[in-house]
Amino acid sequence: MKIKWWLLLAMVLVVASGSAVLAAQAVKNPDTLIIADIGTVDSLDPAWAYDTASGARIMNLYETLIWYDGENTDKFIPVLATEVPTVENGGISDNGLTYTFHIKKGIKFHNGAELTPEDVEYSFERAMVQDRDGGPIWMLYEPLLGSHGSRDGEGNIVIDFKDIDDTIEVVGNDVVFHLKQPYPPFLAVWANTWGSIVSKEFCVENGDWPGTAETWKEYNNPEPGEEGLHGIACGSGPFKLERWEPGVETVLVRHNDYWREPAKLKRAIWKVIDEWTTRKLMIMAGDADIVYVPRQYMLELEEIKGIRVTKNLPTIDLAAAFFNLDINPEGNTDIGSGKLDGKGIPSDFFSDKDVRSGFAYSFDWDTYLKDVFFNEAEQPVGPIPTGLAYRNPKQKVFHFDPEKAKEYFQKAWGGKVWEKGFQFNMLYNTGNAQREVAAFMFKENVESLNPKFRIEVRSVEWASYLRELIQRRLTLFLIGWVADFADAHNFVHPFMHSQGDFSCFQSYNNPLVDELIWRAINTTESKERERMYHQLQIIYHDDCPSVPLHQMLRRHYERDWVKGWYYNPILPNGDIAGYLYSISKGW
Amino acid sequence: MEVRAYIIRRVLLIIPVLVGVSLIVFAILALFSPEQRAAAFITDIRQLRDIRGVIRSHGLDAPVYVQYFNWLKEVFHGNLGWSKTAQRPVLTAFFYFLPNTVELALFSAPLVILVGIWLGTISAVHQGKLIDHLTRTGAIVGWSLPTFWFGLLLLMIFYGYFRGLLPPEALGTQAGLLVRSEAFTRYTHINTLDALLNGNFFIFFDALRHLILPVITLTVVQCAMVMRIMRSSMLEALAKGYIATARAKGADEKTVVRKHARRNAMIPVITVSGYLFALLIQGVVITETIFNRKGLGWWWARAAVNLDVPAVLGSVIFSALIFVITNLIVDLLYAYVDPRVRLG
Repeated sequence: MKIKWWLLLAMVLVVASGSAVLAAQAVKNPDTLIIADIGTVDSLDPAWAYDTASGARIMNLYETLIWYDGENTDKFIPVLATEVPTVENGGISDNGLTYTFHIKKGIKFHNGAELTPEDVEYSFERAMVQDRDGGPIWMLYEPLLGSHGSRDGEGNIVIDFKDIDDTIEVVGNDVVFHLKQPYPPFLAVWANTWGSIVSKEFCVENGDWPGTAETWKEYNNPEPGEEGLHGIACGSGPFKLERWEPGVETVLVRHNDYWREPAKLKRAIWKVIDEWTTRKLMIMAGDADIVYVPRQYMLELEEIKGIRVTKNLPTIDLAAAFFNLDINPEGNTDIGSGKLDGKGIPSDFFSDKDVRSGFAYSFDWDTYLKDVFFNEAEQPVGPIPTGLAYRNPKQKVFHFDPEKAKEYFQKAWGGKVWEKGFQFNMLYNTGNAQREVAAFMFKENVESLNPKFRIEVRSVEWASYLRELIQRRLTLFLIGWVADFADAHNFVHPFMHSQGDFSCFQSYNNPLVDELIWRAINTTESKERERMYHQLQIIYHDDCPSVPLHQMLRRHYERDWVKGWYYNPILPNGDIAGYLYSISKGW
Repeated sequence: MEVRAYIIRRVLLIIPVLVGVSLIVFAILALFSPEQRAAAFITDIRQLRDIRGVIRSHGLDAPVYVQYFNWLKEVFHGNLGWSKTAQRPVLTAFFYFLPNTVELALFSAPLVILVGIWLGTISAVHQGKLIDHLTRTGAIVGWSLPTFWFGLLLLMIFYGYFRGLLPPEALGTQAGLLVRSEAFTRYTHINTLDALLNGNFFIFFDALRHLILPVITLTVVQCAMVMRIMRSSMLEALAKGYIATARAKGADEKTVVRKHARRNAMIPVITVSGYLFALLIQGVVITETIFNRKGLGWWWARAAVNLDVPAVLGSVIFSALIFVITNLIVDLLYAYVDPRVRLG
């Protein structure tokens, strides 16, 4: 009797595995795209979301006035607007201070309501009213009000609703934006998820800001989860929100009343799958169509039947090693004795340009790019990455040259550095293999120059790393920047401006740099901008406030039955799934 | 009456336990700087420019005792806070993740206990023989297996090699869509149970298929403990005088083992089973991660790594509750299994 049971079980297994193999040859879930990723969505509210996982969902639910033209990051197509404003078509005023968008008619939101110019006005005003801490709306404030946001450093509201209201107005079927100063990347800012157009009716129905001046402060900087569109959506995009289960999955379903031809896919499902092996097995079994592959595992999916790999996708990301010119010494064990006595470093150790240059000439890019990125990355020529206008490809760069490094170290601090030596700790965040390799490369190459040079590399958890960074206690920190919008300003500011996202934590302050950055963003003259950005790149090399380490190339992995995917580096998670409208499944 | 008073007393004891554990968690929190805790809210490096605002708006710069009393005040209003990792209020998240974990525990725990008792009994009865050596070695191997490795191995064979035979996750794509459709009523949010209540056997078998590998993983790894305890307890019971008496009176070996020895040997197993069930209810982090079954363990592990304070506090409270209740049930079971045990 027992033997019979075992036989039955074996037969079931054989039949089931056989049918599974047969099933694997057909397109699984032919009208549903399944994306296995690790990113969890922060919020579905376009005014709140600043992370790429949220952005990837939002851009398929909502639409913007204009959008990127295919794979281009500097060309746009009209979406909700009838045309892309230019000076020639009168959409942009000659002084670059007024932008007019003609709004298309007959476009329907997911709830069936028609999209109107008032919805457009409401969307931007709502975003500026919400303006949460750490959110993306500074990008609307900078061109429109010339400020960073609605509150000061203490959290007090410093603007009136009139300031917001005056910047955007509806004139007939047009929406007009009044800028505080010329802002050349204005269109690029608008062509992203924070420029999404929401339905005013839907928002108000769901308890969001009613659009009145009296109430706006109540809706400013809401608590997490209290933003009006946190878990609901009503856009005009090609997909509607069917379900969002935070941390688990997001399901979008085709919007059949879409103003263009409805999307080819009936559904798109993003699944959060933390474990790499599980994701790998899912795409191999056909249960996932697109997967996120961490760089260290990327060779595992090469040459596997049924899986298509697209390589060498350019990014607009840049990673660098930043010198802290004024290290906070308070209780800081990373600087040893705090003196230039061979047992530590003083707080201003990196304020000497020769020290910084010595470090820059100690970095071996060839080995780094080969070992860490399998040569699928490049050495940046400065703070402006490849793919952006005004990058000077002929800009002088640092290269690995131990003799030159030695030369600079011998000059540093009047020869004291070479004579006494130094010792400090260099931190990186645990689990980041790229930063780990870069840190050890600095250590080994610099230590090889002089036996009195000592660098200890330590890993700490991300939270601790951020704390040390914010408190300006890190000696030399490694971090990367992902573009908000495709413009040189979005890189020179964080990398070089005294108030920049990174440079402020390294106390880098060059008044000429600050002036050039603001002049370059406030002029519409292309030649003038080019001249200033080239000058900034020269200063960046000469001053060497940081050492640009890499600009990586990405890969995309999909089942070979997936059709129509395209890559645009500025789209959130563009290398994973990106914009789904053009995607279909089949042979 | 005696039992009811005992239960009430034990339930009331939960209050000081909860206050105690929440105080300990807050004391630990005092070791983290506001910047470290703000890191939980930094989902993108570009948010760094507003770090002060993030700290301020979440009240992370207030003294710890102020934060504790604010939290306590909210708890009295039924609000355990917002979980950043679950993107939901803590209480809602708990009830969202609980069914997945309960389903896994409901299928695993009985199997772990029954297999453990069975193997322990066999091993003890055949002490020193080949079967004893085999079961003991098997138990040691099972106990030593890293869950991570074993789970992945099963997945690679039964999902990878056999092309989707026993897949990860709680449900397949089509079953998942059906479960969330209007035609399906989610009474308990436990897929197998709901499928039966809806009379939908496609979903039932799909859910069952997805349960096989995680249940096997947990059974193989966990049953070793039950087996070892059962074996030693059985050996002790088999050496007792009343067993010799039973044999002398002519009782057959099956009766001796099942009726006289095994029942008495069960008491330590009940203790460990209660503990095991409590552990399973809290979620099994690795199993849930590998098989992508989003349950309490997965959520709490993520919350801990990301310093999601409201979720961590919630997890401590829920865990304490689960342990207190499980212990209470175990104590009541003692009295049932061994009439000599008196509650009070």
